[in-house]
Order: sequence, then C-alpha cells, then structure tokens
Amino acid sequence: MAITTAAVTLTSDLLSDNMSVSASTTCMKAGTTADGLDQIEYAIVEIATGDQYDLICSTPTASKGSKLYVKNHSIDETYYVEIMIDAQAIGRLYAGDWMFIPADFHDANADVEITALNGTNKIEYALLHEGTALIAS
Amino acid sequence: MATTTATITLSSTDLLSDELALSTTATLTGASNSTGITNTEGLARKTLASGHAEYVLFDGASYTAAKAHKLYLKNTSTDAGQSFKITINGEELGLLFAGDWAFFPWSAHDNDCDIKIDPSADSMTLEYMLFTD
Repeated sequence: MAITTAAVTLTSDLLSDNMSVSASTTCMKAGTTADGLDQIEYAIVEIATGDQYDLICSTPTASKGSKLYVKNHSIDETYYVEIMIDAQAIGRLYAGDWMFIPADFHDANADVEITALNGTNKIEYALLHEGTALIAS
Repeated sequence: MATTTATITLSSTDLLSDELALSTTATLTGASNSTGITNTEGLARKTLASGHAEYVLFDGASYTAAKAHKLYLKNTSTDAGQSFKITINGEELGLLFAGDWAFFPWSAHDNDCDIKIDPSADSMTLEYMLFTD
C-alpha cells in the first residue's frame, strides 16, 4: 500500500493571538484505514483565456476518496482561474494560491472545470485517485 | 497589514519510483491585489449532536461575491466510515473522510452559493475556519 501524507499549516497574525493551525492526513481509499490511494495524475499546464476546460481529462471512479491539489503558478496578482464543478462556481484561485479538496466525481457531469482570466495561467495539479475509466483506443 | 499563510506538503516515498515531496506556501491576499486578507471567522468546531441532515455552514448571501475567500475544513472523526458531504449551491464537492482536511477558495458568487455539510452519522465534529476578503 502506498502511503501519501497531506499536511497543512495555516498561520496568521490577524487576531490578537497569533494563530497556527496544523493538520495532517494519510490519503486513504474511501472508508478505509488500511488501503492508501495508490494512483496519481500529476501535471502542469498552461491555461489560455477564453474557454472553459476540463482539468481532469479522464473519468475517475465516482464517489471514492480522490483528493485534488491545484496550484496557480501565476505571478501577476490580477491573474486567476475560476474553478467550477458541473458548472457550479466553487472559487477563484488567484496567483500563488493553492487548493486541496476531496473530489468525488459523484456523477458523469461532475467534471472539475477551469477558466483562466486576465492572462494565460500556469496551473499545477495532482489527483490522487482510486482508478479512472480509460478511453479505449 | 496582517499576514496569513497557508502551507501544504504532499509527501510519499512509495507512491512513485521517485519520492514525492511537494510543498508550497501561499500568502492569502485580497482579490487581484497584494493586500493581506483582513477578516476571519474561526477557528471553530461544530458537532451535530443528533440527526444528520444537511446543515448550512456558511450562507452565500452573507459574503461579498467574487472575492478571494478561503475555507479550511477538517473532519475530526476517527471512524474511517464517517464522512461529511460538502456541497456548494447543491453541487457536491466531495466527501471529507475521517481525519481528512480541505482548503479551497470560495467565491460566494451569489446568494444561493451556500456551503453545506452533511455528516454521515450522528455526533460528528467538523473543525473549520473561513478567511474573508
């Protein structure tokens, strides 16, 4: 079993007390503690403005324990990508931002869609998953 | 100006032939500017003592649309079979299993863009924090 660990640390001086929150999880298959996610798609792409694209071109198995990491490598603070799932806006990933979500691709329409705004955005992503439906050649 | 950072580390020594050691830090700023994010709600915990119906965690109508809000969530459960279903305006984002966390941008693009949680069992606890622009 592959062991992949995802850890986060949030720090801030927004409050009167300095904040530091940390969490770490081992990326497991859905509903298990014994079997880690053992497949990955890891890539970097340049997304031009003008169109909405499916970030993940394959079809991961639905309702599993998949985890999706996305980072916007843009430097210009006005550049961002709009992240959508099945045409529902999730949020804007601005230059330098990253996100990490459970992505369960719960039905055939639940694609992760991405649109670049204000310029070509360089996007890094990693999908840890339990399997995908490969396209027959 | 307040400085808020978010760091992720993804690591594995046996997933690929080469070690995976990905780490990056983002400084959270406002939409299309370099000013540090200025507001936060949390850190907070919520336990749904009985019943496990869907629950509104954040109401889209209460936050300015099209900004750089960021949300952190963690399922504190230790039972591998327990998960929170996370939805935004009814669209399922994913299942947050025991011990898992998530961090993502939220655009709150209209009044219907609520973030809802639906625990799979009674007495589950969610830890969360919202940074708002």
